[in-house]
Amino acid sequence: MDYLTDSFIAAVGLILSLDREILSTIWTSLYTSCCAIVFAALLGIPTGLWLGINNFRGRRLIITLLNTLMALPTVVVGLLLFGLFSRQGPAGSLGLLFTPWAMIAGQTVLATPIVANYVLSAVSGSDQRILDTLLTLGATRFQASVQLVKEIRFGVMAAVIAGFGRVIAEVGVAMMLGGNIRGATRTMTTAIALETSKGEFAFGLSLGIVLLGVALLVNLFLNMLQQRVN
Amino acid sequence: MEPVVTLKDILVNQGETFSLSIESLELQPNRVYALTGPNGAGKSTLLRTMALLTLPQKGTVTVAGSGAGSLAQQRQKVTLVEQSPYLLEGTVYDNLAFGLRLRGIRGKEQRERIKTTLDMVGIGGFERRKTRNLSGGEMQRVALARALVLEPEVLLLDEPTANIDSTSLQAFEALLGSLPDYGITVVFSTHDPSQPKRLGDYVLRLENGRLLDKTCRAS
Repeated sequence: MDYLTDSFIAAVGLILSLDREILSTIWTSLYTSCCAIVFAALLGIPTGLWLGINNFRGRRLIITLLNTLMALPTVVVGLLLFGLFSRQGPAGSLGLLFTPWAMIAGQTVLATPIVANYVLSAVSGSDQRILDTLLTLGATRFQASVQLVKEIRFGVMAAVIAGFGRVIAEVGVAMMLGGNIRGATRTMTTAIALETSKGEFAFGLSLGIVLLGVALLVNLFLNMLQQRVN
Repeated sequence: MEPVVTLKDILVNQGETFSLSIESLELQPNRVYALTGPNGAGKSTLLRTMALLTLPQKGTVTVAGSGAGSLAQQRQKVTLVEQSPYLLEGTVYDNLAFGLRLRGIRGKEQRERIKTTLDMVGIGGFERRKTRNLSGGEMQRVALARALVLEPEVLLLDEPTANIDSTSLQAFEALLGSLPDYGITVVFSTHDPSQPKRLGDYVLRLENGRLLDKTCRAS
């Protein structure tokens, strides 16, 4: 018990001392996750809207595929993109492997189906009169879609936050595509895994506390938005 | 005079139980048409078809003589106000400004048109009111104002007086009757048997998705 208590006190001490390595790790995590969620939003919001608004042959198949992709194991994404970005891979010449950009690419792949699915749910659950109202006021399909996003903005924000929650907490992509390089691609999750295996439990715990704090904030915000949606 | 709306050989199937079938219907400009018929006769479907929101499986709908242009361009000539209208989040002004912005009308002209239209429908000074705080009758008026401010060639109203109290009904009917003077053709559906006689230049009677007759009030 003393071990846990002492480690916890040491971890809090590390956070409060604003340890450079901890700050650098937190920054890498937030930077890569924020970039990934921006790209995922740019891809996922239009996809969710398109699926929500239009009815076409194959729509159910795409939705099923999106649902499957939501549960995609992070190491599988890491593995596939590793093959893509490795020297022998088709995008090897870009030299992205073991850089934050490879991690961002992987996290974008992870978050996009989540954002798309949440937006699809928001559109499906929205008032069916919205689109007709916008169209009868003379909007094109595109203009109506943009306005629809404004009308269901809380659902869209919830989608983005849910995607962010997924990428900030993942290990597989960050480890396989980032390589856990100190000061460059080391994120909170990969640092926790590494430092704990090295016996630096207090260091791992300090990052765990920060990560938990971020996850808590994200979920509180998500809950608040969902209440507003309902 | 060239008709403002022409429906030719229209077939709209909705599920297995209902279909709207209109062989031919022409609406003359600057007239008021009352659309009557029992529940499920197809009044709302016909209005939605004229508004180009429901596209027929067969036949053509031509608005204001132009088959050319995109669907959105054609829709800008005809506006539907539904029985239970949806108001956009924000203020009454935001709602009226939305369609005007799409037509490139901004600034002073936008403000003036909105003010004039709100006065016209009896809710002058409502610009800054949040739509979520409005009563059912006020929402109906905002929806009507939102359509009128666009100065459409054809205004389609689905049971517009259903949420209006008896004291406001007279003013509303007077407004409806005056719209042809502004160059607007009006088609409204109603269950009130006396309304077509009071307001409609023509009465369109629907039953089971078929147009039974079109009578001129004068006759």
